[in-house]
Amino acid sequence: MASLRLNLWQHGIFVLVLCLVSLPLGFLVLGSFSTARLPGDFSLDTMGLVNYIKVYSDPATYELFTNTFIYVGGSVFLGITMAVALAWLVERTDMPGKIWIYAGVPMTLAVPGMLQAMAWVILLSPRIGVINKSLQSLFALEEAPIDIYSLGGMVFLEGLRLVPTAFLMLVPLLRGMDPSLEEAAAVSGARPFSSLRKITLRLLAPGIVAVMIYQAMTALEVFEIPGILGLPAGIHVFSTKIYAVVRSATFLPVYGQANALAMVYLLIAVVTTFFYTRLISRGERFTIITGKAYRPRRFDLGPWRLPALAFVLLYLFFAIVLPFLAFAYASFLAFLQPPSWEALGGFTLKNYRFLAQYGEVASALKNTAVMVVTTASLTVALSFFVSLVIVRSKFWGRKLLDQVAFLPHAIPGIVLGIAFFWVFLKIDFLPLYGTVWAISIGFTVSFLSYGTRAMSAALLQVHKELEEAAYVSGARPGRALRRVFLPLMMPTLVGVWIWVVLHAVRIAGLPLILYEGPQNQVLSILIWNMWDEGYVPAVAAIGTLLMSALLLLTLLVRYVGFRRQWAQPPSI
Amino acid sequence: MIRIENLHVYYQTEGGTVHAVRGIHVDIAQGQFFTLLGPSGCGKTTTLRSVAGLETPQQGRIFVGDDLVYCSEKKIAVPPYQRDIGMVFQSYAIWPHLNVFENVAFPLREMKGKRGRGEIAEKVARALALVKLDGLADRPAPFLSGGQQQRLALARAIVKEPRVLLLDEPLSNLDAKLREETRFELRELVKRLGITTLYVTHDQLEALTMSDTVAVMDQGRIVQQGTPVEIYQAPREKFVAHFIGLTNFLEGRADAACAGGIGEVTTASGKLRCVLPDNVGAGDPVIVVIRPEDIKIVADANPGAENILSGSVEATIFMGDALECQLAVGAQKLRTKVHPASPLRQGQSVLLQLPAQSCRALRG
Repeated sequence: MASLRLNLWQHGIFVLVLCLVSLPLGFLVLGSFSTARLPGDFSLDTMGLVNYIKVYSDPATYELFTNTFIYVGGSVFLGITMAVALAWLVERTDMPGKIWIYAGVPMTLAVPGMLQAMAWVILLSPRIGVINKSLQSLFALEEAPIDIYSLGGMVFLEGLRLVPTAFLMLVPLLRGMDPSLEEAAAVSGARPFSSLRKITLRLLAPGIVAVMIYQAMTALEVFEIPGILGLPAGIHVFSTKIYAVVRSATFLPVYGQANALAMVYLLIAVVTTFFYTRLISRGERFTIITGKAYRPRRFDLGPWRLPALAFVLLYLFFAIVLPFLAFAYASFLAFLQPPSWEALGGFTLKNYRFLAQYGEVASALKNTAVMVVTTASLTVALSFFVSLVIVRSKFWGRKLLDQVAFLPHAIPGIVLGIAFFWVFLKIDFLPLYGTVWAISIGFTVSFLSYGTRAMSAALLQVHKELEEAAYVSGARPGRALRRVFLPLMMPTLVGVWIWVVLHAVRIAGLPLILYEGPQNQVLSILIWNMWDEGYVPAVAAIGTLLMSALLLLTLLVRYVGFRRQWAQPPSI
Repeated sequence: MIRIENLHVYYQTEGGTVHAVRGIHVDIAQGQFFTLLGPSGCGKTTTLRSVAGLETPQQGRIFVGDDLVYCSEKKIAVPPYQRDIGMVFQSYAIWPHLNVFENVAFPLREMKGKRGRGEIAEKVARALALVKLDGLADRPAPFLSGGQQQRLALARAIVKEPRVLLLDEPLSNLDAKLREETRFELRELVKRLGITTLYVTHDQLEALTMSDTVAVMDQGRIVQQGTPVEIYQAPREKFVAHFIGLTNFLEGRADAACAGGIGEVTTASGKLRCVLPDNVGAGDPVIVVIRPEDIKIVADANPGAENILSGSVEATIFMGDALECQLAVGAQKLRTKVHPASPLRQGQSVLLQLPAQSCRALRG
């Protein structure tokens, strides 16, 4: 009897996850063949290849490929180069001030991409950019010298944003490398540079390639950076193009075409993910036997110590200090102007007062709180039970369940948004369409892969024997759960919860597709819409508050010690 | 060939500064097999790494051949890649991204002056043949067994024919059977090549069987240096006696010294005649050490026989090649080894003879 009941809930979890993942994907595929203009009119009778023909005969689509390639390739190259340099400097050289890098680099993860992009617009927009204006008046230039609304601007900013995660992935690689491999090169007569080139970098190469592919997936998926920097200039990449097709203000949207685009986008993401997992699973070939825990020899930078430190500080300045300063500065201005005594004299709290009075802010905050708490709790609960089935049970479909739960990892947020958009429109017997609940469900599926990875890893470590030891010590199952299992799992449960909160609050792409109407706005949508309507100083005020809150929260989380659960990228 | 003078090494750890090597003097002649033996943390590896240039000492001088490679006074610290050395690491440090051939060719390719492809191939082949790895040149390095990796590391260390070979516990990652075979092969190989070898180990058996000279280290100092026979038979410190082999210790007080270095010591179990060092005077506290295999069990005391003690068998442990007996002589416990077929049984009373030449008194 007990085993049958157990089997029932295992089947329940299995069916639920299968539905949550395959239903939207099914609608995505079907929708891409639908010739009906609106998802609501969708029926199996009106199917055809019209959307594909329309989309892939358009020359603009090929420009899309080129743009996406330049944007992803450029930002990955920039980001990884900087991350390798940073990781090597802090792990293997005698550069001063390393503690600041270890503390500072992960902090840059706390700044949402959308806000960072907006801050750089405040600095470098050709029309209003503070730096541009200053340079123009300083050198009497006719035109603004730098245009952030460009592929170059997108590459620069996304490159900066890829650094912290790549850095966090590379540091353990460098640290795990047996230092005697490098020492063996030294006693074999290799000079430091030669041994760096022939041994260190060559040994790291597989790891670096894996990090590059992982980060290419990230760059491919990101919506906010190309959304803020590319959309206004009409420079599209996949994520923004799909958004533009669906949320076009001027034309009646052609949903089927968005799906047709999303299919290729999805294919690229799935292929990349496939290569990534292949590479990771073959990684054992390069695992390096570690010997004694000798401190590796520090590369003597000599006169380059201070320039190296300057490089690192410049990165931190660009990634976190400057955006924050730009927002804080703009938030106290009545209108955006270059820094001057006059501007400082005109500082005002007007923007903050405006936020307090503006009705949509309060409702967006409430919606955000509801959405974030729901998403985090749903994700934790669902991924916990999924992992329980995967790790602890002998359920026949547990391998498949593992794979299905991992699948959303490969689906870009915008694509998932489009897919759920169709689902919520079609299942109109549930009043979900356009609500914060729709956003919560979408996010839960999108975070499910991270959640199950983290939970499975933790469950594997909380070995069954630990509970069995409690049983033979006289504890009933309930007591064993409370005294042994839950305390051991608690750091992971809380860690995943916080990770989801921190991510759900900042991502704009999926909510922008799924929400409908001002009463359903969450904070990221509100910021996006206010920015769109040109309330730059007001956005700066929200941004300053949000950044401060996120930075404080990040510091708090680090202080409490959940660092390892969420500060690191989902390991696969 | 290697000379180390008054070497001091400190390093910083979380717990503070550690004085790892405290004024070591070592002089190793051309072609000698010299071993630093000691427990972990005694400074032996730090000394070896200082010779390699992987660790920078704070004081002293190190010569490799005639080259002064480190001198604190003249502020000379030749980097490892400019020293004429080969080294085998404890983890072997085989580069996993290179195959067997390229691992061995690496030191040749890093040498000054262009070398022809033929010359490199020939030298690599010779080195691989010496360690009996010929035929595996194209094998990717990760696909080697532990023993093969160890030999590959050795081939890489000797391929450029350095004057000095440094070995950092090269056998500790091998299983017991292979370790035993490799001990003799390794010594035979370096002796044939005539390379001066500095060997670091915590395994006394390796030190005793392979070395020309053994230096026993403890807490950053060399406590005794000598041939394996001297180290084993004539330990000068309690630490050496304790660290190498099984030893019985009897506390006592020296009586007046006698001629020929033999003196008398009063212990709780009675008076014993032992070898007394020169620095022990009458009344000094001493520790008498005697190896288990030197204790004889005698049927009855011949008149005039010296150092006879009576005791009883407390326990016998069958060891395969010997029977180890734990004996009680009053409150003193002694261990001895007898032939496995010995009829000794628990509880039996026995007479022991401790030959005076095998009893060594050390200052307590």
